[in-house]
Amino acid sequence: MSQLEVLLVIGVLIPLASFVLLAFVGARLGKPAAGWVAVLAIAASTVLATMALLQWHGMTPDQRLAAHSAPLVWAHLGAVPITFGVNLDSLTLIMFFMVTFVSTCIFVFSVGYMAGHSDEIDGVSKFHRFFAYLSLFCFSMLLLVIADSLLLLFIAWELVGLCSYLLIGYYFHKKSASNAAIKAFVTNRVGDFGFIIGLGMVFAYLGDLSLAGAAQAFRDGYAQQSALFTQHLLGVSLATWMGMLLFCGAIGKSAQFPLHVWLPDAMEGPTPVSALIHAATMVAAGVYLTARIFVLLTPEAQLFVAVIGCITLSIAALVAIVQTDIKRVLAYSTISQLGYMILGMGVGAWIAALFHLLTHAFFKALMFLGSGQVIEGCHHEQDMRKMGGLCRKMPVTCWTFLVGVLAIAGAGIPAAHFGLGGYFSKDEILAVAWHRVYGAAHGGHVGTWERGNVGTEPDTRVVLASYAQHDPGEQVVHPGHLNPEPRTLNPLLFWIPVLIAYVTPFYMMRCWWLTFMGRPRDEHVYAHAHESKLMYLPLVVLAAGTLFASYYLFRPMVAAAAPQPFLTWAYDGEAAEAAHAQGALIDHGAHRALVPIVGFAFVAGFLAAWLLYRRGLTLAERLAQTLRPLHTLLVHKFYFDELYGLVLVGGTMLVKAICYAFDKYVIDGLVNLSARVTERVSRFSGVVLDQGAVDGAVNAVGRGTWELGGLVRRPQVGRVRNYILFATGGVAVLVLWLVLA
Amino acid sequence: MAALALNLLIFLPLLAAVVVWTLPERRQALAPQLSLAVSLVGLALAALLLVGLPGLARDESGAALIGEARAEWIVVGERAAGGLRDGVILRYHVGLDALSAPLIALTALLVPLSVACSFTAVRHRVREYYAWLLVLTTGMLGVFAARDVLLFYIFFEFTLVPLYFLIGIWGGPERRYAASKFFLYTFAGSVITFAGLLYLGIRAAQIDGLSVIDFDLVRLSTLSLTQLSTTEQSLLFAALFCGFAIKVPLFPLHTWLPLAHTEAPTAGSVLLAAVLLKLGTYGFLRFSLPMVPHGALAWAQVMGVLAVLGIIWGALCCWVQRDVKKLVAYSSVSHLGFCMLGMFSLLPVGLSGSVLYMVNHGLSTGALFLVVGMIYERYHTRDLDQLGGLARQMPVLASFFVLFVLSSIGLPGLNGFVSEITVLLAAFNSDVLGPWYGVLGATGILLGAVYMLYAAGKVLFGPLKEPPGTPDLSAGLRRDLTGREIAILAPLAVLVVVLGVAPRLVTDPLDGALQSQILDRVHEARAASAIQHHPAYAAEVHPLPDGRGSEEWYTTALFIGPEPGEGGPP
Repeated sequence: MSQLEVLLVIGVLIPLASFVLLAFVGARLGKPAAGWVAVLAIAASTVLATMALLQWHGMTPDQRLAAHSAPLVWAHLGAVPITFGVNLDSLTLIMFFMVTFVSTCIFVFSVGYMAGHSDEIDGVSKFHRFFAYLSLFCFSMLLLVIADSLLLLFIAWELVGLCSYLLIGYYFHKKSASNAAIKAFVTNRVGDFGFIIGLGMVFAYLGDLSLAGAAQAFRDGYAQQSALFTQHLLGVSLATWMGMLLFCGAIGKSAQFPLHVWLPDAMEGPTPVSALIHAATMVAAGVYLTARIFVLLTPEAQLFVAVIGCITLSIAALVAIVQTDIKRVLAYSTISQLGYMILGMGVGAWIAALFHLLTHAFFKALMFLGSGQVIEGCHHEQDMRKMGGLCRKMPVTCWTFLVGVLAIAGAGIPAAHFGLGGYFSKDEILAVAWHRVYGAAHGGHVGTWERGNVGTEPDTRVVLASYAQHDPGEQVVHPGHLNPEPRTLNPLLFWIPVLIAYVTPFYMMRCWWLTFMGRPRDEHVYAHAHESKLMYLPLVVLAAGTLFASYYLFRPMVAAAAPQPFLTWAYDGEAAEAAHAQGALIDHGAHRALVPIVGFAFVAGFLAAWLLYRRGLTLAERLAQTLRPLHTLLVHKFYFDELYGLVLVGGTMLVKAICYAFDKYVIDGLVNLSARVTERVSRFSGVVLDQGAVDGAVNAVGRGTWELGGLVRRPQVGRVRNYILFATGGVAVLVLWLVLA
Repeated sequence: MAALALNLLIFLPLLAAVVVWTLPERRQALAPQLSLAVSLVGLALAALLLVGLPGLARDESGAALIGEARAEWIVVGERAAGGLRDGVILRYHVGLDALSAPLIALTALLVPLSVACSFTAVRHRVREYYAWLLVLTTGMLGVFAARDVLLFYIFFEFTLVPLYFLIGIWGGPERRYAASKFFLYTFAGSVITFAGLLYLGIRAAQIDGLSVIDFDLVRLSTLSLTQLSTTEQSLLFAALFCGFAIKVPLFPLHTWLPLAHTEAPTAGSVLLAAVLLKLGTYGFLRFSLPMVPHGALAWAQVMGVLAVLGIIWGALCCWVQRDVKKLVAYSSVSHLGFCMLGMFSLLPVGLSGSVLYMVNHGLSTGALFLVVGMIYERYHTRDLDQLGGLARQMPVLASFFVLFVLSSIGLPGLNGFVSEITVLLAAFNSDVLGPWYGVLGATGILLGAVYMLYAAGKVLFGPLKEPPGTPDLSAGLRRDLTGREIAILAPLAVLVVVLGVAPRLVTDPLDGALQSQILDRVHEARAASAIQHHPAYAAEVHPLPDGRGSEEWYTTALFIGPEPGEGGPP
């Protein structure tokens, strides 16, 4: 393994070591010490990640290529070796850095957070377990990030799901927590069910589970028009099915419609868990997976991805408006933002979606930790209706939270290159969506455009740009490069996200205002509110990260890793800007077009929220009264839980009950029936036939013999002459018979 | 030396059984210790034998055995100058090869554990109990070591007797019914299997033109396929199916299993699930596939359908159970469905996945039965509705329980995952089965997570719920696990993790043997039927210049298997 790979692998293994240590001797380490062990471990990983990142930054493409080494063989599937290695590219490194960095902040926060919690159950402390699980989670997540094979990715994927299960159910003596944990695991399994089938198809049709190998086989398969592309099921090609099924995993893990129901319930876990797993990293794994399988998607599969993302982002944002639990608002906003990322993947904004993932990780972790601080400070009060005016009591939390709100709302100065990370990333997703809907109509030409030296990735070919000038000389047609004209998308895929871009700042400002501003609505809660230093330091770090690092650090790294998809398209909005700056022939830059449409959305949203909530809840309640049916629908989250409860859970209840009854009464009944029939038959044969007929026959034979014996005995009375007489007679008869015969 | 070790491994328990049985009343307390010591010696012997396994895998001929012992046992017939004529030979012939080694290892491992788990659970007729357990051990080891088909059958039936008594005497409230049902059901099936094996032996003698009928395993699995007609093979497969499928158990022949498992004492359930069910799968692997490959091919889809049905059916039935033990029992139906699905994909991946599944199922289901038994000893109930929140009282037990549940539902990193995923991938890739089998089989993974987690969640998590008057700690137990109980579960826990990370420990020695003993036979059968049924097609698939393309050439070509992309014969 190259030095870089060694760095990463050690970085993955340190949290595992921490897990093992805490699992076995954690109880002896005691309350704060166990936590600090975990912090130390993840901090070490962060240092390694930073070293790796810097080293990577200073490498030439050739050196980067040389840093790859042959993967290890883990098992053989028949003749196919299953290899595991490190997928070394810019995306891996930046994700690795993000996960370790955010985790470190959250770990430090957790030590403070758990300090104030009674974690003893019947005299046994579970403190060390919490950090053991967190460490295991980091191990799994980092493994997922460096995985170079779909199988290894799946392994890490499931481990991540396990940690989520363990951590949501951390307060396992609470029924709701235990149920939420199971719900999360099972819902994820529904998605994984699709993922496994997708894996099966990859193995069956592409014959290689490594990411690079599968992508190559996919290309070759298309060139040769293999069964994957020629066979159809329900009018959809198998290749599309494969992409959609693999994406099912992402639907589960990234809480996309229709499997989004588990994430709000997952808020049963301790707040740092919500921050780490259900906001910053784990849920992003689905987007990461989509990014990695992007090269295996067909245009139809990509459209499916876009539609799922679009539905999710709108449903979740609408539900978030009426939530009163601070963590649930954040949970739904997470779902909505994940929807944006998935939509981005679907419309081809590969770079923008991942960029959004990274910025989102920072600001969402920030806000979740902020909410944890609030909940902790208010003695486990999560209802925003009872908060208000907390800014005076917890200023650091308040202002850092505002940074997060600004970031998620996409605040920035339109048309100037200035704003928070969320501003750039969301804008770019929308720009690509705009382009896919209107680009062709407005004359922005769609074509392949080779950006000579931009592709700094060793193995990668080149980033595709969308708004390229039409110059045949620069149009490089790759061998087997097909699909030169991507289809124009339905305008809804642009307009719904735009609309929701107005809703997002509204509900986030509502959340912030209700919590920190205005007058305290519950004196008791307000009176005891306080903030703790160990917990607000990570907030400051994350806020700084949100403010400064995101754009300049993340965007170029992600862009450098952009794949060259084959049937689909990856658009690079940045490159388009660059081309535009160089005077390339573009009629309308998408970004220009977006300024009037969505550029001031955050202002409008903030303003609306402020107007509605500046005097407390009365105005909003009156509005809710007026819009009663709509409000009820939203409060019940579009009745998804009820629907699933009725149809799926009820349906399977029925099916399984029927199955068991059938098993017990029919199948086993048949067995017993056959036994009874055999018994009857044997009784019949035993009593009637055996005793009556067979035994009767035996007895009859016996009796017959007996009687015959008596009969024969009569002549045998001991007289020799009689014997001689019989013997002579017998011989005579015999001779006579022989002679006659 | 190795032969001695193997024979000791098999018969030492039998000898010990006699000793244990005849212990004087006042020395009764020695019975458990003695049995444990003997079973540990067995484990050591098995370990000693397994050292030779890697060497075996390197052996090219594939005929080598570890600890081979061979003697003529019963010889009937005329002894003439040239040897025996017009007779039957029954040999005592044992030895380990790559296929049986993992199962022997599994058995040798689980016997001491199930002996140790009975220390506090069994309190009456102690000497008899351990004697039967040891007799059962001899039976189980003998089955896997047998190299003569009749010897196999003898051991196969021999296992029924001790288990009958174990269930019937030390079982739950419905023990008598369960014991008789178990005995009669499996016995009825295996009689037909016996008939099939006899027929095969006789036909083998006819085919080879010998007047002596012998039941050598290798000889019967390398018969010329052209001599045994396809119909004959199909019928033979059906005959073998009767005994093995009931043992597996394959849907819909599974109904004896939940009952027997639930009523059996913990050790009985453990051995039943971990080892005795494997007799069925081992039977299919060892006999049905190589001896009548045409039959296996003809029946493969039926087997696939039954396997998939079993996976789904078993899982759904698990879900409604209120009795934890019954739930684990039904989960075996589901899991063994996976095992059969992999086997009848007739691909190298599927077969090695299937054998790995046998081992993994033995470990995780055996462990689950042990854990459930430990709960039962304390609370005298296995009713999900009466238990809850036990994790608060028993954190150590809860950790083990969760680990084994996760292993059972195929969590990556633990053993169950590797076998499950390989089996599913094989079903997907198989040209005998196909993607739909994989898709439907995968639902088992989903359902498995549901029922297992609900059960574990109910027992371990939520508010504490204990039946009144419990836990009963009269037998010297503690609230949480005692040192003895931890020592029982720990080896299984270690293996669950080790095999999850390094499945090659099991599969690497296997691959060669599976290829040479089973897959080559199946390929041969396919090639033969391709030529027989589609000569034109065969020629079309391999249009060969320069005179190649004769029957022999085609057979050899398919022997290696169709090349990827070229497509084999239908």
